[in-house]
Amino acid sequence: MADMYPSITQTAVVATALKVLLWPAYKSTDFEVHRNWLAITYSLPVKEWYFENTSEWTLDYPPFFAYFEWILSQAAALVEPALLNVKSLGYDSWQTVYFQRATVIVTEFVLIYALHLYVKTSKDKRTAHAAALSILLSPGLLIIDHIHFQYNGFLYGVLVLSLVLARKQSTMLYSGLLFAALLCLKHIYLYLAPAYFVFLLRAYCLSPKSMFRIRWLNAIKLGSGIGAIFAAAFGPFAAWGQMDQLLSRLFPFSRGLCHAYWAPNVWSMYSFTDRVLIYVAPYLGLPVDQTAAKSLTRGLVGDTSFAVLPEIPPRTTFLLTLFFQTIFLFKLFRSPTWDTFISSVTMCGYASFLFGWHVHEKAILLIIIPFSLLALKDRRYLGAFRPLAVAGHVSIFPLLFTAQEFLVKTGYTVLWLVLFLLAFDRVVPPAPRERLFLLDRFSVAYVAVAIPLILYCSLLHQLVFGLKYEFLPLMFTSSYSAVGVVGSWVGFSVVYLAS
Amino acid sequence: MSTHRPRKRKGLDNGAFGRVPKTSEALVNSEGPAFPLVAFLWPAKGSSLPWAVLPLILLAVGLFRWTTGFWGYSGFQSPPMHGDFEAQRHWLEITTHLPISRWYFHDLEWWGLDYPPLTAYHSWLLGKVGNLIEPSWFALYVSRGLDDHLLKVYMRATVLLSDYSTYVPGIIVFLRRYSRIEGVSLWESSIALVAILMQPATILIDHGHFQYNTVMLGFVLGSMSCMVWESPVWSCAFFVAALGFKQMALFYAPAVFAYLLGVCIFPRIRIGRFTGIALVTVVSFGLLFAPIALAGLRDSHYGIPPPDAPLPPLMLSLPVQLDKTAWYYQAVLQLAQAIHRIFPFARGLFEDKVANLWCAIHTFHKLHQYPSAIVQRAALLATTITIIPPCLLIFFKPRKQLLPLAFATTAWGFFLCSYQVHEKNVLLPLLPMTLLLAGEGGLSPSMRSWVGLANMLGVWTLYPLLQRDQLRVPYFTLTLLWAYLLGLPPTSLSAYASNEIKWPTKLLHLSFYLAMIVWHAAEGFVAPPSNKPDMWVVLNVLVGAAGFGVCYLWCLWMLVKKSGLVGSSKPLAKKQ
Repeated sequence: MADMYPSITQTAVVATALKVLLWPAYKSTDFEVHRNWLAITYSLPVKEWYFENTSEWTLDYPPFFAYFEWILSQAAALVEPALLNVKSLGYDSWQTVYFQRATVIVTEFVLIYALHLYVKTSKDKRTAHAAALSILLSPGLLIIDHIHFQYNGFLYGVLVLSLVLARKQSTMLYSGLLFAALLCLKHIYLYLAPAYFVFLLRAYCLSPKSMFRIRWLNAIKLGSGIGAIFAAAFGPFAAWGQMDQLLSRLFPFSRGLCHAYWAPNVWSMYSFTDRVLIYVAPYLGLPVDQTAAKSLTRGLVGDTSFAVLPEIPPRTTFLLTLFFQTIFLFKLFRSPTWDTFISSVTMCGYASFLFGWHVHEKAILLIIIPFSLLALKDRRYLGAFRPLAVAGHVSIFPLLFTAQEFLVKTGYTVLWLVLFLLAFDRVVPPAPRERLFLLDRFSVAYVAVAIPLILYCSLLHQLVFGLKYEFLPLMFTSSYSAVGVVGSWVGFSVVYLAS
Repeated sequence: MSTHRPRKRKGLDNGAFGRVPKTSEALVNSEGPAFPLVAFLWPAKGSSLPWAVLPLILLAVGLFRWTTGFWGYSGFQSPPMHGDFEAQRHWLEITTHLPISRWYFHDLEWWGLDYPPLTAYHSWLLGKVGNLIEPSWFALYVSRGLDDHLLKVYMRATVLLSDYSTYVPGIIVFLRRYSRIEGVSLWESSIALVAILMQPATILIDHGHFQYNTVMLGFVLGSMSCMVWESPVWSCAFFVAALGFKQMALFYAPAVFAYLLGVCIFPRIRIGRFTGIALVTVVSFGLLFAPIALAGLRDSHYGIPPPDAPLPPLMLSLPVQLDKTAWYYQAVLQLAQAIHRIFPFARGLFEDKVANLWCAIHTFHKLHQYPSAIVQRAALLATTITIIPPCLLIFFKPRKQLLPLAFATTAWGFFLCSYQVHEKNVLLPLLPMTLLLAGEGGLSPSMRSWVGLANMLGVWTLYPLLQRDQLRVPYFTLTLLWAYLLGLPPTSLSAYASNEIKWPTKLLHLSFYLAMIVWHAAEGFVAPPSNKPDMWVVLNVLVGAAGFGVCYLWCLWMLVKKSGLVGSSKPLAKKQ
């Protein structure tokens, strides 16, 4: 295929130029978080990494990420040693900003390579190329990594690489090992682990002919490999008896059901219903908890509590997540093909995002990125992908609230949506079976509502109400996005189970 | 392909990412698109351009413009005088708070208004809107030197908005018309559109350093579009608007004059057209200055005394002594003051270090020793000599196809030889020269290499200025990006691999690129000798002036060739 242009490299060059221009943009506290981690890993012995608490932004990622920060800090020492002091809180000289922003761009090469490999190993290169470009240019990554500040490009690069390696029997082992390493980089990917477990078990450790014949050599290779990786990550800390401390850092259960800005999931719809019920409840004779009724309106940081509907304990969310992950994994166990594997990974992402405890809006990438690899399989998949693409990206808008960045986040997202929804529409192959009329129409109507909503939330609301009712735009965005995410989830479930 | 049969869609018969019918074009070599920018528009290739291409291009170039604005600007946190940003902000302040009759008189020491009236009206409008948002940004006297972050965002937004309401539509409209008469396809003209809109120098000066040059350039483009559309009368109105926004549009004035006079005489004399042009010009200037004159009339009507300021020299040099109590006195005073402010003949030959003839000569032979009258006359003479050939050509052969070359040659002549030139004025010759990309054979290696060299040199001579404004990173990013998109050095030598470019030209171009690279390395890592602290800047100016001189000669030669004056009248464009 000589005519796939622009190539991934060309696109990466232009995207990099834009990312460099974004260096002085707004940056969230995550910038300071990572600066602090650079300082901790550089200046303290490993033993103290998970105990250091001068800054409120303590190290709460798994050890591999800490090692990753240690490597970066070696380079930082050459550029700007002053940023490596644990005591210099909030340090952000321009050298620090340039350095940290540059590391995000450089480490993203993992993603570029993974996408290159994805296209190389795909049969339909045209659709794969389009999907690869859409991930490379993802507004989610641009907003979260290059403005807000995180290393998702790198982490999702490792994930995509691992997903692509799962394509062939010969590289499946590396896929599993790489995923294990990814878990030691950031534990949020645990949400996708059930799909990996079932897939590697069925496709790698059991015989393709009979599920009762175990391929011992493969099982041993995989088991010992994963064991070695976890030992490399957690071994030292276990040896020092720090596991309790480490785990308490990784899994802080004290946080609330909904994150500060409501991630567009089932619980935000639940909260929204609760809000509405506050006004309706008196007519229905339901009791209203007055303290809760007042607290939530702020919509800012803190625990949300419900005024009318029952409280949700963490256990419920975990059971629900696991339940919705498991029902789709049966199919993967029966037919462990790569496409089904990617679908199940996406499904695991959906379940955890929709039902999980204290979900970040950023976690939407957990769905969008694996789904993108499959969105162009045929027209039905695209139908389910479309509302997700809109909802997912609109839902991360509240991460940026400054005037200067407003034009970038909306301009870039609109550019991406128009470009890729049109391009996808042109390259996607037709569906082998009849499409669902309802889903198609839903997806068109849904996209159409986005424009007035963005306008209202970013401009009109301020003009009409000023600073009053700040929670309204957030709630609208969140509920609108939740409808989109849930809608696309339902659509995708149908396609997944029917194919 | 698989068994799937893609749905048929009208007008969208090309894959968005591939599967494009092969055509033998200069833009495609054996390995695919000839340079990266072609690759980016590859999905849009086909018989009809998808509707979304233009909005997508505008969004993309808009993002680069806006993010350039995240960086520093002229005079950020550098008291006492700050810089161009403060000048523009200050004009928003005075135009919204003072009556018109005080605009050209108010505290001239602090960035007194010295641009023509249209800039003042533009400032007034932006100031009114800004006052609605946050009155403290433009409060009289107390807002001086303000560097509030939101003020910067607002000012940046006004530049973007002005750009998108003048320059960008100007380029689009001109390209549509110019490409058609040059026989260039819509797709190729879209590639040229991106190349022109991504010109690093224009983005860096307006959206980085902070100015509104694009508004003036937009009016010039409007004027050129009307010329192509054979509507000389409107062309005049647009050109007066350009002059009325920024006097530097004078760089183009001789070419505009020669062309418009030419179309009235050749092929046959048209008295009606001539009268129309004259009339519209007078009326446009009248409208432009009317508010200023009316403000003077109003003041004398209500008996408000004229501003307490020395009389403008223009008034003193009038042949008759005006009666200070006459009803028209204040109106004349206002106009004289405005003109005095707009054309400061009292300033030096050049400002700072500009890559033009005078600054280059000054390096070896100090020009201070001559009385300024002589130097001024020399500048006038040199400018006249350089602009006469292109103006005569366009006068005797007033053909639309020659417009960009004639404009470029004249503007280069002005830039190199005239009086009172700023380094930023290099934008004026660069615009028409870059428009050549949309002409016949505009994207061929030879044309790209020349337009590329001029742009790279142009932005390079701006580096000392941009560096002061904390714009180093955007300078390198945007310049290298543009070079990359067009397949030019230092990112690629592909344009020079072509046999279309003769080896002396290759040698010449590559030595300029080499000089620029070596200069950057030296400037970045080697301190200049203590007795010559300006050495790097001076070297920049010398190389730049030489390069611009070459660009002038090339434009002139191309103009001569394209006009069919010399035997081998076939222009450079390679025929398929």
